[in-house]
Amino acid sequence: MNGQYDVLNPWAEADPIRLRGISPRVADFAGKTIGLFAGRTKVAARPILTIVEKRLKERFPTLKLSWFLFGYNLTVTDTEDKARFEDWAKGVDAAITAVGD
Amino acid sequence: MAIEDLGKPAVALCNKDFLFDAQSAALGKGMPGVRIVPEAVPCECSVMEQIEAEINAVMDDIIAALTQPLSDEEKSPKPKEVEKFSRIVFKDDLEEVNRFFYKRGWADGLPIVPPTEEAVEEMLKGTDLPRDYVVGKIMPRLGKATVEKIAINAVMAGALPTYMPLLITGVQALMDPKSYFGIWGVSTSSFAPFWIINGSVRNDLNINSGSGALSPGDIANATIGRAMGLIIKNIGGIRKGVEDMGVLGNPGKYTMVIAENEEESPWEPLHVEQGFNKEDSTVTLYFHNCYSQIMPYGTDDKGILSGVIYNVIPDRKGLFCLILPPVHAKTLAANGWIKKRIKVFISEYARLPAYRHGGKFGSYLGAPAKEQLPMNPEDPMAIFWKPDWIRVIIAGGPGNFIGLVQGGAAEGMDWVTKKVELPANWDKLVEKYKDIVPTYVR
Repeated sequence: MNGQYDVLNPWAEADPIRLRGISPRVADFAGKTIGLFAGRTKVAARPILTIVEKRLKERFPTLKLSWFLFGYNLTVTDTEDKARFEDWAKGVDAAITAVGD
Repeated sequence: MAIEDLGKPAVALCNKDFLFDAQSAALGKGMPGVRIVPEAVPCECSVMEQIEAEINAVMDDIIAALTQPLSDEEKSPKPKEVEKFSRIVFKDDLEEVNRFFYKRGWADGLPIVPPTEEAVEEMLKGTDLPRDYVVGKIMPRLGKATVEKIAINAVMAGALPTYMPLLITGVQALMDPKSYFGIWGVSTSSFAPFWIINGSVRNDLNINSGSGALSPGDIANATIGRAMGLIIKNIGGIRKGVEDMGVLGNPGKYTMVIAENEEESPWEPLHVEQGFNKEDSTVTLYFHNCYSQIMPYGTDDKGILSGVIYNVIPDRKGLFCLILPPVHAKTLAANGWIKKRIKVFISEYARLPAYRHGGKFGSYLGAPAKEQLPMNPEDPMAIFWKPDWIRVIIAGGPGNFIGLVQGGAAEGMDWVTKKVELPANWDKLVEKYKDIVPTYVR
């Protein structure tokens, strides 16, 4: 067959996403509180952050660490844990997150 | 990103092979600069020595990600130029059209039907909705599923215009948060949508509920599922290996569509169980990644149900569809079984010793609550924690085999059933396309 086809585009349009920057970093870790946010849906998340915790404590003895364990495969602010999460975030200077994948 | 949005600096650790996926997700949520440290911990690793070795290797990167000052781009990201397409995106012969679509990532590996203006106009006769009506915005890129875009993808799949009402309903089902589409659609578990059709549309559209209902050969079963797959890809923007991180993949992503054989069922059909009227036509959706067929242990009720409870897969402890051929459904009904009793029986008696379940007495994915865990590894533990996650449908031809279609477990997910809305000219449309059925030489 040698017919010519004018074809339409299957790829959908999407509204532009408002882009935002990330937060300023901390200057150092001395005396700071670092949050450890572990998803609970993948088995490696918590052990990963357990190692991170160990190594950070060895390097920065005055550092405090604060855990947040999250059990859903969803965005935390879309769940019933939102208030708990926001309270936790208020108490940390920076955070490290792990999914386990 | 939720942490960053509260003004606190954060770094995300992810397996290096998921880096593109993580970056795509960050861009999709408006924060392309989120700092991600790729590490080489094997996915879902359970070996502590491996985890320790790989995390030790990236500790400097983790600290740097939280302390190194931001670049201008990280402080204020600029949107990238988006490629603009004209309405007629390409013109050539059939072979070149197919190559163009495939190379663009818009096809699924099989030849497509070229979506010309004429073909799309004909497809749009399957709905009364205007072409620019937005049925929903499909994750993850929140692409606008306009009626026209649905029709374009439907043409590509080889669908008939009479399938448009089901495709529109299918998009509505994907939009329902209970479908968990945003998670299952991209999961490493390669979940595929299973579409179950009830009501009079089954017969109007010749959707197979009998012999080989899940095999190739029926245009409705084949192209409704295929069209939904193209819609997910081209409107939702789910790309294999980028957003869709399915480890092995799933042939069900091409299509998995079945009609329930309501006429030969001794029980209420699925959509009535889901709260709809018998005369409604509906589409039911859930995501599965494990389809097996088993021979029951006997053809009496004990043999049928023993086959089920001893063969369900323990790792797939979520939504479960039991497909019974009519002969077994009638045997069970004659012995006093109803759907509810079957579901309770399966959830109670599909058990294994705790140590044979994943993780510590249960998969870490939605592990049972502490009070449900047994004390000893040898104690039997249920595979299905919620009888309400189980559904029983009647389908298939003559013969003994039973279908077990299992999915994952997560709080908040559920079976999703939506009513199909038909256009005003439905009867005429059905009449036009009803005779498109295969005739086999005998």
